[in-house]
Amino acid sequence: MRRSKSSLLAIAVSIGLAASACSSTKHTSDSSSGGSTAASSAGGASTGNASYKQGGSLTIANEQGQTWPCSFNPYNSSFNQESLGFIYEPLIYVNILQDAKETPMLASGYQWNADKTQITFTIRDGVKWSDGQPLTADDVAYTYNLMKQTPALDDYSLWSAAGLTSVTASGSQVTMTFKQNAQVYFYTFATLVGIIPKHVWSTGDAAAHPDTWTDPNPVGSGPYTVKCTPNNMEYKANADYWQPGKPYVSTLEYPAYLDNGPANQDLASGKAQWGSQFITGIKSFYLNKSQDNHTWSPPVLNVSVIPNLDPSHKATSQLGVRQAIAYAIDKAKVSAIGEDGQEPPANQTGVITPTFDKYNDAAAIAAAGYDKPDLTKAAADLATAGYSPSNPLNLTMISIQGYTDWDASIAVIKQDLKPLGINITESSLTNQTYFDKLYKGDFDLAYGSEPSAGPSPYTELRAWLHSANTAPLGQSAAAGNFERYKNPAVDSLLDQYATAGTEDQQVSLIKQVGAHMLQDLPIIPVTESADWFQYNTKNFGGWPTADNPYAQPAAFNYPDNEQVLLHLYYKPAQ
Amino acid sequence: MRYLLRRVGFFLLTLWAALTLNFFLPHFMPGSPINTLRAQTKGRVSDAQLEQILTSFGYKPHENIFEQYIHYFGNMLTGNWGVSLGSSLGTPVSKLIGQALPWTLGLVGFTTVLAFLLGSLIGTIAAWRRGGIVDSVLPSVFVITSALPYFVVGLFLILFMTIDNTWLPSSGNYDTSIVPGFSPGFVGSIVKYAALPALTLLITSIGGWVLTMRNNMITTLAEDYIRMGRAKGLSDRKVMLNYAARNAFLPNLSGFAMSIGFVLTGAILVEKIFNYPGLGYQLYNAVNSIDYPMMQTLFMLFTVAVLGALLICDLVTVWLDPRTRAKG
Repeated sequence: MRRSKSSLLAIAVSIGLAASACSSTKHTSDSSSGGSTAASSAGGASTGNASYKQGGSLTIANEQGQTWPCSFNPYNSSFNQESLGFIYEPLIYVNILQDAKETPMLASGYQWNADKTQITFTIRDGVKWSDGQPLTADDVAYTYNLMKQTPALDDYSLWSAAGLTSVTASGSQVTMTFKQNAQVYFYTFATLVGIIPKHVWSTGDAAAHPDTWTDPNPVGSGPYTVKCTPNNMEYKANADYWQPGKPYVSTLEYPAYLDNGPANQDLASGKAQWGSQFITGIKSFYLNKSQDNHTWSPPVLNVSVIPNLDPSHKATSQLGVRQAIAYAIDKAKVSAIGEDGQEPPANQTGVITPTFDKYNDAAAIAAAGYDKPDLTKAAADLATAGYSPSNPLNLTMISIQGYTDWDASIAVIKQDLKPLGINITESSLTNQTYFDKLYKGDFDLAYGSEPSAGPSPYTELRAWLHSANTAPLGQSAAAGNFERYKNPAVDSLLDQYATAGTEDQQVSLIKQVGAHMLQDLPIIPVTESADWFQYNTKNFGGWPTADNPYAQPAAFNYPDNEQVLLHLYYKPAQ
Repeated sequence: MRYLLRRVGFFLLTLWAALTLNFFLPHFMPGSPINTLRAQTKGRVSDAQLEQILTSFGYKPHENIFEQYIHYFGNMLTGNWGVSLGSSLGTPVSKLIGQALPWTLGLVGFTTVLAFLLGSLIGTIAAWRRGGIVDSVLPSVFVITSALPYFVVGLFLILFMTIDNTWLPSSGNYDTSIVPGFSPGFVGSIVKYAALPALTLLITSIGGWVLTMRNNMITTLAEDYIRMGRAKGLSDRKVMLNYAARNAFLPNLSGFAMSIGFVLTGAILVEKIFNYPGLGYQLYNAVNSIDYPMMQTLFMLFTVAVLGALLICDLVTVWLDPRTRAKG
């Protein structure tokens, strides 16, 4: 007994010694609290904004559901939202929210040939990689040619679907040649691709396996460099960034949030300043906590009721049933109750407003009667399909488990349809099962949306409606035409858009597609899905707002995140 | 010796059966890693391209399933576990497990040992003072707590300790604003963040130990050698701990060996509820994203841990107690 006591004592002493010997607790923001490093005041290079002093540490709360993998390979589509925008930059930034307004980034300009099969970029002078080497046209050409060499890197199928045939560099120019008119792919190759340094990627592990290389210490041209632990990524301002004096915020903390709960808690308490996930009851939980808390979620996509149009689905393939559903759903009510007012109601043409107002045909919507709910018309249309309250129609609607806002929206839809004689049963499925059923067409009704938007309504409408994106029941229609819509007239309109010469032509084509949406109701848009965004203005300014929508604001939205990072500044340092 | 061989043989057979199930069951699940990756790429990448990406990381959807099974078996045995195909695409499975393992061992391992020691002690005292206050209150309380599902306890703790009052953090493993290192703040933060999940596990697991210990103790206290010890004039404490508890402890000890095997599996729901990035949390993520390599490796580790603990427990019991040896 005595012996064990003395050994316990020894342990206690040694712990005490160790505790006193070890360094004191360090906080991640300690290093940056010194704040304002002297900032050069050369005018903002391309944006022409006022210039600010550097300083401050900003925390991003964007729920990931996992700890950080600390891989920064921009080609690895699992991680590129951690590297693109922060570390790797595109040639040209295109803003979806401002009518595809362009901001030159690594390319200072570009020139199409007459039939838009060839584009020549002029690569900006004086840009340096974060290891000090200059960025050249060679690096840009290397980035694209590497995708040809290793097809697993060609995320957007530039060398196959987009018809890219060659990329060459000469002097400060990079020329890309395509098989056909490539204007619709501009957003993809100029904005979504991050440029990588040839001198790093052409040696060692990177050269041997560019597709599986983790790129643990990325060398980029972007405004930040990174230090990563599984629990937190810390981005430091890149001192050599080519826009002098930028970025204004010295440090970014990006903790790995495994769940919405703690991320939202940190936003509400002000511990985190940039939020990017849904907050239930945002008024009382977040906005009322501080007058510095704000939210702005610009809509970019539709959330729709997706009917199965395959003839084997007797009810939903009938126009009358779809018309009844479209007339009966009170979209404003779904938006207010189901989405807490955070997602505006959608319209039947599928054109997102106000984001794409130019393409919106409000008169046509009103003429078709889809501008407000109309139960009389709904009942009449349902009768043409042979259903009524005395002969009710029972349908199942699939949705994703855990999407509580969708559950609430579907509850409202259910109420709206019940008096007509359409009984909806919601079937909440796990993510994997839901998408399996959605892609294979194993549903009557589904509630869902397309995964991403493009610079005009074309991208989303093409995904929904083009018959090339569909597949027979049982096969995967993952490209977006889940409802199995086939209409040669719509196909041809969408194909014409890809080569349309003028903007007016494009607008007119989208309006014609909208007319088909009103006539055939292949999908029934209910609300407009938004990229969630919350921000705190106590210490940081320069956020994108409804009045100045200079970029899509969510932290995970690359390469828009870079534009936000280049605008943000730390108020106490000014 | 023959008994030993039979035990080991049985262990290998069970291991093979479990590993086979571990391979085939995930493959029968609906969905595929492609779906996960498609969601992560916001649908901007075509399916053929997604498959190509996954193939470069070792995904072979078109290979004959039995060929895959053979490869899988070889890989499990050689420790060549591959890279994640799920939400951490490309990260070696061994690295992911290495990151998660310390947290699970720390949280669940520590709690299991604590629950065992504390439970046995309370059981001993309760039996020694049979009919006393401890004996009339605690066992009945523990019958209730051990019957509670631990995720319910976890949710209630979150409600009372983090939402109604903000005493303790409800999520994560340490305060990310502290630089990790051997500093009082960091260690304190680990303890603080582990408090609620540990309490949850403790509340629900301690009851079993208390009840078994108490009942064993009561039987033991009726033995002659206890009366003998008292007659010798030994102190109460010595009789209670050295004579009675020591013998009553044996069945609990073999139970403990088994529960150590289950430490690795983490407490999946507890780790999920408290967002504690241990093995259980990794398994949850892997299943969600149909991450075959990760799932297979985790299942394999869990199986080996549980079966290994059982085998050791078997062998130790035989060594301790000759009566358990089979005849012949």
